[in-house]
Amino acid sequence: MSQTVAETKVAVNINDDHCSRCTICSSLCPYDAITQDRDNHRMVLDIEKCQVCGICYSACPAKAIDTIYYSCGSVLKYLEKVKPQYKSDTLVIMCKGSAPDFGEVSKLFGVKDFIPLAVPCVGRISEEVLLGVMVAGIKKIDILACDEDYCRFHRGSPLTGRRVIALNRMLEQLGYGEEAITLKRNSLKVTVDKDLCIACGTCVAYCPYHAPTLTSEGGISFDLDACRGCGLCVALCPAFALDMENWERARISDLIPKLLNEMKPPKILVFRCQWADYPPLNGDMSPNIGTIDMPCAGRVEAVHVLEALQNGADGVMVVACSEDDCKQEGVSAKSEHVVAGIKEKLAQIGLGDKINFSAVSPRYPGQVEAKVREFRQSLEGAGKGAEKGETK
Amino acid sequence: MIVTTLKPLDEILESISPYRKILIAGCDGCTQPPRGIREAKTLKQLLELAGKLKGKEFEFKVTSVVKQCDSVLTTSAIKPYVDDVEAVLSLACGAGPQTVAEFFPDLPVIPAQNSHFIGIDNRQEDKMFDSCSACGDCILALTGGICPVTRCSKGLLNGACGGASNGKCELDPERDCAWELIYERLKRLGRLDLIKKFTPAKDYSAKGWRVTP
Repeated sequence: MSQTVAETKVAVNINDDHCSRCTICSSLCPYDAITQDRDNHRMVLDIEKCQVCGICYSACPAKAIDTIYYSCGSVLKYLEKVKPQYKSDTLVIMCKGSAPDFGEVSKLFGVKDFIPLAVPCVGRISEEVLLGVMVAGIKKIDILACDEDYCRFHRGSPLTGRRVIALNRMLEQLGYGEEAITLKRNSLKVTVDKDLCIACGTCVAYCPYHAPTLTSEGGISFDLDACRGCGLCVALCPAFALDMENWERARISDLIPKLLNEMKPPKILVFRCQWADYPPLNGDMSPNIGTIDMPCAGRVEAVHVLEALQNGADGVMVVACSEDDCKQEGVSAKSEHVVAGIKEKLAQIGLGDKINFSAVSPRYPGQVEAKVREFRQSLEGAGKGAEKGETK
Repeated sequence: MIVTTLKPLDEILESISPYRKILIAGCDGCTQPPRGIREAKTLKQLLELAGKLKGKEFEFKVTSVVKQCDSVLTTSAIKPYVDDVEAVLSLACGAGPQTVAEFFPDLPVIPAQNSHFIGIDNRQEDKMFDSCSACGDCILALTGGICPVTRCSKGLLNGACGGASNGKCELDPERDCAWELIYERLKRLGRLDLIKKFTPAKDYSAKGWRVTP
C-alpha cells in the first residue's frame, strides 16, 4: 500500500517554513503521528499513523499545518454562502459522531432556527473559525461535541471543551455576554425493544465492547456507558429488537427510495462510514450517486442493501474504513464479512456484481471517487450484456 | 445448537414456483444466529429480486415462530395467515416444516434450510462440528464430556481402537480421535479410572422415535 501512496496527495501537511517547533501538535495528536526529529528539530508527520482528525491543524499557533478538509477558509466561505438560506444568526456546529437529527438538535439547544454545520470531530474547529464566524455576523454559536469517552479521536471533544471556556472568557470581556458559545455533549447509542428481544445472544457474541449481557430474566441488558455506537448489533439482531438513535432502521428505509428517485441511472447508492471519507462542504454531487452516511460500516444491514436494489439502484456500495483506520475495534472487517455474505446470496440470483465493498481512508483524498468510478465502470460493462433482462 | 444452512436460492425458487402467495416462517429457536424475522425478511427481499428477474411475481408474508417444533407456538403463529397463503416456506430445522405439515394438512410446506447436525459452535476458531447424536442414553459422565458415539468415527463405547495416528482418526485424517481427546481430558481431570470402566452395548431402543413426557 505504501508504495502507491508515496505519489498520492495526502490530507494533512506540515509546512516546515512556518513551523516554530513548539511541539503543540505532537503533544495533542491522539495517534503519535507527529514527532520531532532529534537532530534537526523539525516536526515530522507520519501520514500512515494520522487519522485526519484535524486537531493538530486547529491547534497550531503558527498555522504551519494544512488540511484539505474543512479548513478555516473553506468553513467561513461555506457559511457565507449558505447563511442567506437560513433565517437565523445562530450557528450549530456538531460532530457527526453524536449529532441527532436537526429536530433533536433544536430541542437540545432550545433554538428553533439555526445554521447547521456537521463536521467529523469538532476538535478540528479552531478559535480562528469560531471568532471568524462571530465577525461574519453570527450572534450565537452552539457546539455539539461527543461525550468525552465517546470521542472517536479521543482528544477532540475534551480539547473543544477547554477551547470554549477560554473563548467565552475572552468574548465576555468584549461584551458578548456570559456564554456566547454553548457547548453540549451527546452520543448516539443502541436502543432496545425488550418486547421483540428473543434473548438469542447474537449481540453479546458480536459486540466489540461487551456492552450487552443476557439477563437471568431471559432478556438483554446494555451497558450504555460501554456502547460506542457502531451499530453492528443493530445490523445483526435476528429479531429487529435493536435500533440506533439517528440511524433507525425505518429512517434509513425511508431515505433509500427518496434518494433513488432523485438520482439518474446508472444509480449507485453508497452506504458510507462517516469516518472513512470526508465529503467537501459544498461539493457538486453527481446525479448518479446517492450517499447515506453511517455511524460505522457495521451499521449496514442486508435489509437496506436489498431495499436499495428493489427500489431501482443499479449498484450498492459499502464504503468502510480500512482496517487500520477503523474507529470501532475491527468492526470494519466484520462489516466486510457481512457484505460478503450478502454478495454471496445475490450472486446466486445473478446480482452478485451489484454490490461492492470498499475500504478507504480520508488521509488520501479522492480514494472514494476512484472506487466509485471503478464500480460504475464494472456495472456499465456488465450492464451491456444483461440490459434486456433488467429493463423489464 | 442445531446447525443449518440456507438452501441454494435456485432450489428454493424451484420449490416455491407453483405458488404465488407464500408465508415465510422464521424460527427463533436453536440455530445461531436464529433464523428469525430478519432472516425471513431478507429471504423475502432476495426472492422478490430473483422473481423480478425471472418475470415471476410473488406475494410474501413474513412471520417468525418462537420455536417452530412446538405445535402450540407454530399453530398459533401460522393460523392467522392460513387463508391468505398457498404455501409456507420454513426457515427452521427439519422439525419445523414437519410441525407445519402435521398441523396444517392442507398447506404445502417447503424447507429453506438444510439441517446438518446438533453441534458445537466454536466461534473463536470459526468451526462447527457434530457433537450429539441424540442417542437417548447419554454417557458423557463417563467420557469427560466428549461424546464417542458422535465424535468417534466408529462410534466405539470402549476406546480407543488403536488406529489413530498423531491424534487423528485412521478413517478421516481431518478428524480428531475422540478417544484420545477423552483420555487427555480424563487425565486432566484426574479421572482416568473412568476409562477403565466397561460400557456395555447401548440400549438403542431409548433413542426411540417417540417420547411421552
